Parts: sequence; C-alpha cells; structure tokens
Amino acid sequence: MGTAAAENFLKQAREVQEDELSRFAARVAAQLQGPEPGAEAADCLQRLHLVLAASKSPRQLDAQLVELLQTVLCSPKCPEQIQLLCAAILREMAPCDGLRLSCHRIQNTKLLSLVSSVLLAQGEEKAAVSAVGQRIVKALEGRLPEGQSSRYLLPVLSNVISLSPEALTEEQINVVSKKMADWLRYASTQQGVAQPSGGFFSNPRTRQPGPVTEVDGAIATDFFTVLSLGQHYTEDQWLNMQTFSMLRKWLLCYGGKEMNTPNSGDKSEVDRSVMSVVSTSSMSSRLLPPKERLREKAFEYCQRLIEQSNRQALKKADGDLQKACLIEAVTIMDIICKQDSSYVYRAASFLKILHGRISGDATYARALLPIAQFFLNHGEMAAVDSDAIYKHLFTDIPAQLFHNSSLAFEFVLFCKDNSRLLSETSSIFRRSFPNLFKFLAWNSPPLIAEFVDILPFLLDAGTAIEIFHLLLDLPCLTAALDVQMRSSSLPSAERAACDPAVKPAACLEAFRNPLYRSTFQYLLRVESVSEDFQERLIPLRQLLGSLASSGRVMQCADTVPVLLELFFSVVAEFADASLINQLVVLVLQRSDQLYEIPAFKDDVHRVLSSQLVMLCKLRPALVVELSKELLEFSGTVSNIQNKEPIFTQVVWAIGEYMSVSYDKRCTVEQINRFFESLEAVLFEVTQIRPQASVPSYAPRAITVLMTALTKLAARSQDLIPRVSLFLSKMRTFVQSPAVTSVYCEEDREEILIRATELMNLLKMPSVAQFVFTPSVDVAHTRFQKEVNDTLPSALRIVTRLLEPAPGFVPG
Amino acid sequence: MVLAFVLLSPGGPPPVGAGPCRVLYARCFGPPPQGRLLRKEQLLAVARQVASHCHLQQASSGRPPAPTLPEDPAPLHAAPGGLFQLPPGDPFPGRVTVTWLAATAVAFALVCEPHENLALAEVTLRLLAGRLMAVLRPPGPAVLLRPDATDLLLDRLLPHGQLLFLSQSFLQALERDGAGRAAR
Repeated sequence: MGTAAAENFLKQAREVQEDELSRFAARVAAQLQGPEPGAEAADCLQRLHLVLAASKSPRQLDAQLVELLQTVLCSPKCPEQIQLLCAAILREMAPCDGLRLSCHRIQNTKLLSLVSSVLLAQGEEKAAVSAVGQRIVKALEGRLPEGQSSRYLLPVLSNVISLSPEALTEEQINVVSKKMADWLRYASTQQGVAQPSGGFFSNPRTRQPGPVTEVDGAIATDFFTVLSLGQHYTEDQWLNMQTFSMLRKWLLCYGGKEMNTPNSGDKSEVDRSVMSVVSTSSMSSRLLPPKERLREKAFEYCQRLIEQSNRQALKKADGDLQKACLIEAVTIMDIICKQDSSYVYRAASFLKILHGRISGDATYARALLPIAQFFLNHGEMAAVDSDAIYKHLFTDIPAQLFHNSSLAFEFVLFCKDNSRLLSETSSIFRRSFPNLFKFLAWNSPPLIAEFVDILPFLLDAGTAIEIFHLLLDLPCLTAALDVQMRSSSLPSAERAACDPAVKPAACLEAFRNPLYRSTFQYLLRVESVSEDFQERLIPLRQLLGSLASSGRVMQCADTVPVLLELFFSVVAEFADASLINQLVVLVLQRSDQLYEIPAFKDDVHRVLSSQLVMLCKLRPALVVELSKELLEFSGTVSNIQNKEPIFTQVVWAIGEYMSVSYDKRCTVEQINRFFESLEAVLFEVTQIRPQASVPSYAPRAITVLMTALTKLAARSQDLIPRVSLFLSKMRTFVQSPAVTSVYCEEDREEILIRATELMNLLKMPSVAQFVFTPSVDVAHTRFQKEVNDTLPSALRIVTRLLEPAPGFVPG
Repeated sequence: MVLAFVLLSPGGPPPVGAGPCRVLYARCFGPPPQGRLLRKEQLLAVARQVASHCHLQQASSGRPPAPTLPEDPAPLHAAPGGLFQLPPGDPFPGRVTVTWLAATAVAFALVCEPHENLALAEVTLRLLAGRLMAVLRPPGPAVLLRPDATDLLLDRLLPHGQLLFLSQSFLQALERDGAGRAAR
C-alpha cells in the first residue's frame, strides 16, 4: 500500500507548523460556515484530521473551530461524510477542552450514536458516561420519532456499561432487561419488507415477505435468532441480533446476585424472596422479575442456537458464524449457571449431548473448550462424569490440531486460566504434557509467554525428568511434527512402510521405516510414559538435523533456554536428594545429546551450567555422591572444547564442595583421585607442542582448574608440593610463543596473576585451608560469604602480605 | 468488547527494515487512558507487537515476503494472521488479546478484552479487512486521508466496539441500507 508514500504523508503532516495549521484551520472554518459544506470541505477536514493524528503531542485548534465542528456535527442538514469527519477530529483531540456537546436534545438516533462516540472518548468523568447512558435508556424506553430506529442505540449502551456499570439505575436495568428478554424471544419470524424505492414503476402493493429461514434454507422452525436468514429485516429482528451480541456482557455486568448499582435497596430483597418461591419454568415466567426472566429467555435462546448449529449452512461464512454462535451460547449458559445454579441440570445434560455430537468434528474443535470449561465449573454439581470430556480434549485435540494457530492459542489460554482447577480435578492434564507441548513446538512466538505460566503446574516429582528431556528436545518435536504433517499429506501409495534394512537417508523415509517408527511415536506421544527412550532418540535426532535450519524449528529453539531456567527454579522448590542427583547426572549426559543447532547448543550449555551451580549449592553433598560421574566428566579433555561452560562449573563445584565439611563421607582417597584427574587435564591443556598448533582452551577453564587443584591440595596437604610445582611452570607456559599467539594479553596476565596468588596462598597452608575449606557454619557467616564472593581480591591481599616489595617472586 | 481497531504498516523484518512500523489508522472504544500521548503510545506498542508477530510468522512459514503492490491482493482467508496476548500493564492496564491479519504491506488488528469471543473477533476482522481493502483502492496512502471511510465501516460492522453476530443476510441488508442512504 505504498508505504513510502504513506511515510511521506505522515512526515509532512507532522512537520506542519503552528502558524500554518492556524491558517489552515481558518480555511476549514470558512468552508464549514458556508451554505452547504461539500467535497472541498470534506477534503480539508480529511487533511486536518491527518495533521492532528500524525503527531504524538496534542495540537491546539482555535476554540472557534472546535465550536464550529460541534455545531456542524449536530446540524441536521449536514452530509454524513462531514459529520463523520467532524466527529473523528473531535475524538482525535480528546480530551478536548471546550466540548459543549450534549446528547440530550438529539432525536436522530444515528446522530445520537455518533455524538455519543465523541462524548465517551473524552473519558474523565463517570458523570459524562452516565449522562449518555441515561439518554440512551430514555430513548429505548419511550417512543422514538418517526423514521428513527432503535438499532443504533444498543451498541452505545454496551459501550456505556463497559466504561461504567454504575451508569444505570436499578430501575433502568430492569426496564432494559425486560426489553431485552422480549427482543430475544419474541422477534417476528416473518421477513421484513423492502423499503419501497419509489418511482413510476414501483408497485405499492409489495409481495408478502414470507417467513425467515434457517441457514440451510429450511423454513424457520422456532423463534428468530441471529442464525435466522431473511432478505430484509424488521426493527425487532435487528434488536434481536444486537441484544444477543451484547448479552454476555449484560449478564456479567448485571446478572449476578450482588447489585453494584447505588440504588439496590430493600426492593431487591423482596424480589429475591419472590424468586425463591417461583419456579423457573416458562409457564410462570411472566411472574419472574426482569433479571430472572431475561436469564430464562437467554437460556432458551442459547439452546435454540445450539440446535441450529446442527444444520449444514449453505454459505461458508454462515458456517463460521454458526461456530462462533455455538461458542457464545455455551459460554452464556455457563454464566447463567454460575448466577443461578438451578439451571445446571438442564444445561449439563444438554451440553453432554452436544459434546457427543461435535466431538468427532475437527471444524468444531474450538467449541469443545467452553464445554470443558462448563464442566470444570459445574460438573461436580451436575454429578456428571466429565472425565471422558477432558480425556478427549487433552488426548485427541492437540495431536490432531496443533497446527491450527487459533485453536492452539485458545487451548493454551484455557489451560492457563484453569491450571489449578485442572491439576486438582483430573490427572489427565498433567499426564498430557507431551501433547500440550506440541502447541508450543509449532506456534512458539505467541505461546511462549503463556507456557511460562503453565509449566509450573505440569511439574512434579513424577514428571520432572521426562519434562527435562522434553524441553531439551523441543525443537526435535517441531521437526518431527513437520515430518508427520508432510507424511500425512502424501498420497497413500507413497506412505507404505520402507524396508527396515535400508538406512533412511531423509526424515520422511525414516518416518516410514519400521525401526524408526517407534522412536517417532515416542516423540509424538500424547501422554507421559515411564519408559526411557533417550538412547534410541540419538540417531533420530541426527536425522532430524536436516530440518534444524527451518524458521519454525529455530523459533522453537529460542524458547528453550527460558523454559529450562523456569524448570529448574520450580524443581528446586520440591526436589529431594534423589531427584537433584538424577538431574545433575542428566545435565552431564544430555550436554552432548542435543539437537544440532549451534546457537541453541550454546544457549542450552550456558543455562545448564548455571543451573548446575544452583543444584550444587542446594545440595553440596551431591559432589561426593556423584563423584564417579563428575570424575569422568571432568577428566575428559574434549569437554573443555565442546561444553566449556558446563566443564568449568563442574570443576568449580569439585573444588568447592569436595570436602569433609560438606559431606563426612568425603575421603582423602577421593580427593586424591580428583586431584590426579584434574592435574592430568591441566597438564594436557598446558602442554606446549611446538610442532602442532595449540588448540585454544578457554582461559577460564585453565584458571578454574588451577584454583580447584589448589583447593583440593589445601585439604590434602601432601598434594601441596605438586600443585606449587605445577603453578610455578605457568609463567613459562604463558610466555611461550605458541601461547602468545593464541591468547590475548589480558587472558595471559589473568592466568599468571591467578597462578601467583594461588602459589602464595599455599605458602601459608593453614590460611589456605581456612579460606578454601571453611566449616559449614562458618561458610554461612557474612564474612565467609564475602570471602567466597571476593576470592580473587582475598588472594590479592594475601599476595601483598607475602610480597612487600613489588615484583614477581618465583616459587 | 473490542478496545481498539488498528491499521498499521508493519515495516520490514529486522534487521533489514523497509521502513519502521507505523500506525496508519486507529480507533479506540475502551476507557480512554490518562491523556492523549498515552493512548498514542499504547496503540504504537500494539502495532509493533503485531508487526513482530507478522514477521515471525513469515519466517516460520518459509514463505517469501509478499511482493509489493500486486494487482489483485491475495484472498484474505489465506492471509497470515494469529492471536496473542499482552500482559496487564504492557501496554494496557488489563490483559488484552490481539487478533491480527496481514495483507499486502499492511496489517489489521483488533484489541479485545479478555474472554471475548475470539472466533467472532477473527470473523469480524477478516470482514473489516476485506471491506477496507476494497474501499481503499487503489492502494496508496489513501487510508491516511480517508478516516471517514474507515469510520463508516466500523460504525456498521463494529459499532462502539461491539462485535456483532452478522449472518451473510444481515450483512447484505446492512450494506444495502448504507448504500441506499448514500444514494439519497
């Protein structure tokens, strides 16, 4: 749409100067004051509107012009276009000083609606909103002048009660409720008459219009609703449509037991006691107070709509409307039942039948959500077994319709709004998390924020491990869903199973290969399973790597780090020792079983490494309990290249927590074993091979290794000479030409300084021991915490104590 | 209730932009915030979110961006679109749901209160978008200079922010009345 041209226009409009605007405003005023404002006046008003709208800060308009705009707006002979433009300008300027507009004397309902839109946009005082509300109700109550239609009034009323429910008195609420009940239930079932076009050949005796029809063309079988079709509509049919359109809001606002209007008094007490005696059967409905009568008629209307949704609409657009009507009808029934529980039995049996009818139809899937909501709210009272409904909802729908983004959004929102209730009511919610995550895997950007709220409700000791794996494999799930979709769109001949002996070259083939089938089925499962499929996922993950660069997969991968962090923060609150240990082992294992997207792997490593630290701080004893796994991980040199963040934190944790203070079972042998392993790694990493190029290991890995070795030596003091010797060789390492070419000066300096400080600390073994191996209660004092946090500076202090003269003292 | 209708140009996807995101037309129905500046900023915030979701969806579907100014715009039932939520305070006081639809170089959005009938909102948005694209041809900065045309459509299809359950027959009757009045 010519964005460059639009951009230009906006820029010009913004740059109009104040004096230019004044001159232009005067011109507009002159146009409007003329006898019949026409096309030129409209043109001017359009430009004026743009100038006002284009700037963020308000523009001042001459008070006379503002006055004139209001006059012109209300003048009966003004063309509609001019009126619309005046109203648009007045709204654009809101809040507008000098607004004298009032709706009290306006008889033309269409103009009343337009003027109301200006008044309601001003926005400060409830009184102004209330005044509009009063005028509208008055117009609805009384007889309108000839030729005026009520149908412009209801939307204004709807807006009024949204802005200020207190705008109407109790009496007015009752009057309007009564009218609404009549409009809903007793609108004409005959089609309207065409307005006679006049002219010489028009026949004043118009044909009898005939009855309205259903959406499938059949003659209407019962009272008029929004799904009744006709060529022309009568006034009360318009009101029927509009009443239904605002019905939910009206009921929510005024249908409840507590009146939030100022005029509720003793009268309502009498009403209520009458209500309790009178039954809700329609025979005595005339005796019902207006609110209760409206409820009754609304309920009947909803039932009729639900029945009408069974018909096959002739036009697709009407079919879409049917579905929207169905959703609205069920929602309104739910509200009615909340407001009056005597409706629950009728509604429950009706909705159970409806559910049976639509549950197999994918085009009606969205309507299953309000039905499930109803049973969540009222199922217990209705003594209906709603498990079948939840089971179908959570088991079948996500698997079949994850790609329908509107359904996905509404489904996830349903889960979010009902997380607590769902986890208490039925185990199916929590068990279905693999299915729920399909929505996120396919439609990541709009759903990630909502999943952040749902995840805590899905996590417990039973699901934590499986969810951990699922989160790490979420982009794989996206890829698998893609393969599944493409496979199901193939003609059936091409979908036959492949020869299992032939290794599949591509994902689509793999989907049909019997050996891979069960692994695909595991990824695409609908429910939590206890079996561990991790080993079998490895080859499939590799195969799915061909899809790793797809936009959808990458958007999903972006959501994983944030979900992982959330996962750990929630799990930390309830995890016991066994679960924490399990997670640490899995972090180590999974760190090289990740989907092959480089940025994704880096982000996941970063998150896992920080969460590893969190887990170790939570339960330091795990370092001793998992010494075997940690030894193996920290002893593998390649881990420094592939998973530097995790490696670094593992080594840090070993140095920090491998100590009798944290676990009495820590033995000298264990400390020595770790020492030797880490020493070997550090040796490997600092070896200078003149012929080969030095692979660059992160400097942080080197310093953390040195520090860990020193800490271990402080606890098993026989090791001190070995460490000191090693540390003393760091100067040579750092100064060698091979290293100078690979590491920058700051890094080399950092390594050297740290080596020196550690050596110096080891010269005072008892100090070293205190600093590095505090007793646990000391560790929690402020002093020790500070020392731990500021270890480098503590080391520097010690260094200065030992070296009063500046310069490096070789060990 | 619909709190706002926004018509925007999404601009180009990051990092190479073909222009920033701009609000071309906006109409508010909800409680006005304190001051006009806040209203403008709220609408711009929505527009930016729509633009972002639009670009993300384009990236995920793997479709190339629509060519500029084709003769006949793509049919709207196949147009990219979606739903997302904005949390309370950012930018509206309460939480809102936004339904959006993208056409050639322009996007449409309805900002809805929570628990609004989203199926109906989507139907209405598609209707509005289709009618607007038809009325505001040939494409150009027309929408900036014809707020009355957009207002007229909104008054008919979304009066005061009220979503209407309009069958095709009601719609035709509405438009016939509108045309009849204009002719007089």
